[in-house]
Amino acid sequence: MTTLAVATKQLLERLHDPTVDVDAEFVVAPTSMEEAAEILAAAADVGQAVAFYGAGTHRQIGNPVDADLVITTTAMNRIIDYQPDDLTVVVEPGVTLGELEAALTDRKLTAVLPETEPNATVGGVVAAGRSGYRRLRYGPTRDRVLQATVATGYGKVVTGGSPVVKASTGYGMTRLFTGSFGTLGLIGPVLLKLWSQPRATATIVVDDPEVARNAAYRPFAVLGTRGTGRIYLGGTKEEVEAQAEAIGGRSSDGLDWPQPHDPPLRLSFRIPARFVDEAVLAARDLDATGWVAQYGVGIVEAGYDRITSDGFAAARSWAESVGGTLVIEASPDDLRRELGAWGSPPESVELQREVKDRFDPAGICNPGILPGGI
Amino acid sequence: MARAVDELTALLGDDRVRDHPLDQHLFAKDAGLRRGGAPIVVFPESSDEVAAVVKIAGAHGMPIVARGAGTGLAGGAVPQEGSLLVVLTRMNRIFEIDEVGRTAWVGPGVVNLDLSEATADRGLHFAPDPSSQSACTIGGNVATNAGGPHCLAEGSTVAHILGVELVTADGSTVILGGEAPDTPGYDLRGVIVGSEGTLGIVTKVLVRLTENHLDAATLLMAFDTIEDAARTVSEVIAAGVVPAALEMMDKPMCVAVENFVQAGYPTDAAAVLLADVLGHPAGTAASIELLSDIAVRNGATSVRVATDESERALLWKGRKSAFGAIAQAAPDYYLNDTVVPRTRIAEVISKTYEIAERYDITLMNVFHAGDGNLHPLVSFDAAEPGMTERVVAAAREMVTVAVAAGGTLSGEHGIGFEKRDLMSSVFSPEDLDAQARLREAFDQDGVLNPGKVLPEGSRCFDWGPA
Amino acid sequence: MGWVTEWAPTKVELDACIDCGLCLPVCPTFQLTGDEAASPRGRLTAMRAVDEGIMVVDERFGEIMDFCLQCRACEVVCPSMVPFGRAMEGAKAEVVAQLPDARRAFKRSVFGRALRVRGLVTMASWMAAGAQRTGIAPRLPGLLGRIAGLRPIPIPVPSTRGRTWDPDGIPKGTIALFSGCVMDPWFSEVHVAVIQLLRTAGFRVVAPEKQTCCGALAAHEGAAYDAADMVERNVQAFEGFDTVVVDAAGCSAHLKAHAGGDGASLAARVVDATELVASLIAEGSLPTIDVDRGPVAIQDPCHLRHAQRIVDEPRAILRAAGYQPVEIDTHGMCCGAAGAYQLSHPETSDELGRRKADQVRTTGAKIVASANPGCEMQLRTHLDATVRVAHPVELYWEAVSEARVIAGN
Repeated sequence: MTTLAVATKQLLERLHDPTVDVDAEFVVAPTSMEEAAEILAAAADVGQAVAFYGAGTHRQIGNPVDADLVITTTAMNRIIDYQPDDLTVVVEPGVTLGELEAALTDRKLTAVLPETEPNATVGGVVAAGRSGYRRLRYGPTRDRVLQATVATGYGKVVTGGSPVVKASTGYGMTRLFTGSFGTLGLIGPVLLKLWSQPRATATIVVDDPEVARNAAYRPFAVLGTRGTGRIYLGGTKEEVEAQAEAIGGRSSDGLDWPQPHDPPLRLSFRIPARFVDEAVLAARDLDATGWVAQYGVGIVEAGYDRITSDGFAAARSWAESVGGTLVIEASPDDLRRELGAWGSPPESVELQREVKDRFDPAGICNPGILPGGI
Repeated sequence: MARAVDELTALLGDDRVRDHPLDQHLFAKDAGLRRGGAPIVVFPESSDEVAAVVKIAGAHGMPIVARGAGTGLAGGAVPQEGSLLVVLTRMNRIFEIDEVGRTAWVGPGVVNLDLSEATADRGLHFAPDPSSQSACTIGGNVATNAGGPHCLAEGSTVAHILGVELVTADGSTVILGGEAPDTPGYDLRGVIVGSEGTLGIVTKVLVRLTENHLDAATLLMAFDTIEDAARTVSEVIAAGVVPAALEMMDKPMCVAVENFVQAGYPTDAAAVLLADVLGHPAGTAASIELLSDIAVRNGATSVRVATDESERALLWKGRKSAFGAIAQAAPDYYLNDTVVPRTRIAEVISKTYEIAERYDITLMNVFHAGDGNLHPLVSFDAAEPGMTERVVAAAREMVTVAVAAGGTLSGEHGIGFEKRDLMSSVFSPEDLDAQARLREAFDQDGVLNPGKVLPEGSRCFDWGPA
Repeated sequence: MGWVTEWAPTKVELDACIDCGLCLPVCPTFQLTGDEAASPRGRLTAMRAVDEGIMVVDERFGEIMDFCLQCRACEVVCPSMVPFGRAMEGAKAEVVAQLPDARRAFKRSVFGRALRVRGLVTMASWMAAGAQRTGIAPRLPGLLGRIAGLRPIPIPVPSTRGRTWDPDGIPKGTIALFSGCVMDPWFSEVHVAVIQLLRTAGFRVVAPEKQTCCGALAAHEGAAYDAADMVERNVQAFEGFDTVVVDAAGCSAHLKAHAGGDGASLAARVVDATELVASLIAEGSLPTIDVDRGPVAIQDPCHLRHAQRIVDEPRAILRAAGYQPVEIDTHGMCCGAAGAYQLSHPETSDELGRRKADQVRTTGAKIVASANPGCEMQLRTHLDATVRVAHPVELYWEAVSEARVIAGN
């Protein structure tokens, strides 16, 4: 065991010694996955709940977790293996999106992670299953996590997935880990599939995003914000120009992404794509200060100064009635405790619990953060 | 067993329950080499019937194996002895198509190509296009996380499945994923894809449909050496140009294919590359030029550009018939499905030829070069004494070479029986144990497609309270 | 017990299949049932199991083989080029030899014996003609039970055998006409069209007296020895003719496949009427009519499209007549007639017939062209009288004669 792991173990034993009366919270920053696994094993031994922390970008998503031990990924922040000729990269979880993208610019590549969260860590983005606006063209982040290493709740280092761009070799463990919010263990290094940046890009302001979407050929994104729609294009110069002309509207070079809404309150409607316009209405009815609607994807993220419980309940019930969810993505902890971060648990919740029990038998990893108290 | 047959017959009728030895024989294998044995074969027509069948099998302690069109190559649908085989081909309805959301709910028995044909008038298609796409079912695609040439740009099946209805080991039915993005909780939908029928039986599939391209061209590039072709692939990828598909075929393969389709494949080149450039009309010319330039720089002896739809279709028909066409050379074949980093293709391919030479076996190559998915294919006659053993030994060596180059066992066919015992060459005991834990979460008693994917004894670690 | 006849599927034929499954989607019976046992791959696996001694030719084997339509759509998509039709004829011969059964014996007597006895065919035709006129259908099993699909049969029942037709000028050459068994009495208009077109193109047409039924139906029903006899008789009857024109696709396919293999053989001299007429049009010996006659739905007989790979010619002929050929499906799915199949498997046959009729109706065309008598009867059975079913050569001849009348005026 490493010194840090030994020290953590000792601290945890004291903390859980019924004869000793201490109450402490502490944060550890392991430098390797093996070390993280040892710490998790020690925590599992005493039943100590653990939370995981990168940059804290997504800390307000999910049910609030009460954990005195926090494992942070800040000491695992290297780009381990960059293979531009194979369009792959292996990164440790503490690397920020800004750092990663900067490292990829030499060959004009991108990992297609959320465009507006440069300070978020790769580990955090993968754990939260966050995708950027370009998912309309490139698919969600989980499609590009080819391999992932996790320190499990039972204290072992496990690698899932395959180190190549295409595989049907064993179970889709990367799918399981991506978006698991650390409930199965700490997400460590991941191997990501990269795309090349197109030679030309453009942002076109349009009146009706849905109409414009049908006129565009595989746009990066089609977004609606208060009072305006934007369509984002990428490709060769000729391709972008031809499309911009076909779509009409005001066109400018480059990709001008809307900034997400800062807390206090942010809600995310996740609904079938055909209900985006209705979701925008529902978001407005709750007095949103602003929103970004992703056409063709089915996400409307809206910011609020305050919401009423009744209005929120009605909006959530509408979202669920069309087969979607209304998720609180930022709020004071109390509000998420009161309203529930996720809404009704999915019908597979029992299966999910079976999975959780096998990867975190002691129930120490971010306990309760997911729907159904998982 | 007789009781199980009676109960199943009461449920499904005579016509949809089979136990004659000849039927058992016909359903004992897929398109691969292995043969299993299912004493009972059933043809349910609805999710409810599947659930009821699973319960009956459970009551009689019979393992359950699902099967679609039986075009798999890794033995995923080959029933372990004593299994109840559930054939899903009759569940082939397209339930609904959402044009705005670009999704469709379909039965697992829908044939891959039929789905694309059914959505063509809406300008949409189902992107995964395995070579068997005219015959294979969506359910089978989900089971193996099937690929195909055009997965280079579009991603494998998992990127195109948004939800599934699953009948679990205990016969209950649950929906995983759905039309809305990012369903809260674990992405069990993503886990089901590629799980080869070991986590449940998929009875309905919500697929993502992809916008059809507006313009298309297919390039056929001929080379004097395999290395020149492989270098071209690496350079294309490194240039950040991702064609819609980038396939390689060597000389013996071209000869066999040309004999069947007469599409004008050169029969004197050491290797050809087949590339599809799909996209917006304003962009294709530039992509064609770029690909041609790279090919010529790397020694291409000819570059043919097909823009006519029927000419393109014929070239692709040749590529997609390749596996079948090899039977012209010898009655049996053994096929690998390894994937290597795109930077290592030339090196791994040449080692593969060395191995074939050393074992004195006939090797053909036809593969998805763009994503490094190699398909070294050994053509042989199993009747020749000792031949099968030699072929299997050579094939194992080829896998070892690919794994040593940072690759993996299967790109799109799955593990099944075929590569199960090679899993420990790419996964540690801890990794395999984690996968076994996942399987156990879905199927405690191991009744679903036993003996597939994970080697015996994967779940050998017992850490902490379970 | 294995195989007992010389016709049995051979190891070479069976080994060609590598189980890839690409044949499944084009197989009509697999499409209807989703059942491996009703697929070409399954049938070959069953044959291989017998060949290897794992299974025997039992009732289930017979059932599986009998369920095959022998449309040979699987051969077209088979990259291993398995000679499925040949193997299946062999398997059927084995079934007949090893499983004596009244139903099969009856079929054998009809297709193996009766069809080559001209008197019997003529008698049956008289009865059918009578039934068409009185509305009283004889309670007979067999083809007569399905006379709804027949054209009106002229009385007296016509025959071409033993006759010769000369062109107006000096003949360019002589072409032999294969009269067929039921073509002669039941589809005489098609013979007339072929004969008149060949005369127009400058040929003498001869229908040898000694010819007989081609034997295709016998071969499909496992009456292999009878089929071989019939081929032999035809080989003799057509000796000395460089070109033998056959205007029923099932017959031309059978003669091409079975009447010898070398260049001088009858097989090499047989030409389907659609091929011959299309080539005469292409070389300018027959006219292209510049009149818009509207759409014609195309139904490709399996033994034209799959067995002979003749696809373009019927379309070219229709275009030359002024029609626009309209496709009805991509793979050329069998209409379900399949020779005697409509008698042994009426449900499957009817289902396929209904599907085919629906495809035709969907086009809105008022004419459907089919170059085989079995398909023609099936189409007529499943379509109402508002859609005309005709041979493409027949439609072309009508257009040519109409154009002549106009030119004459």
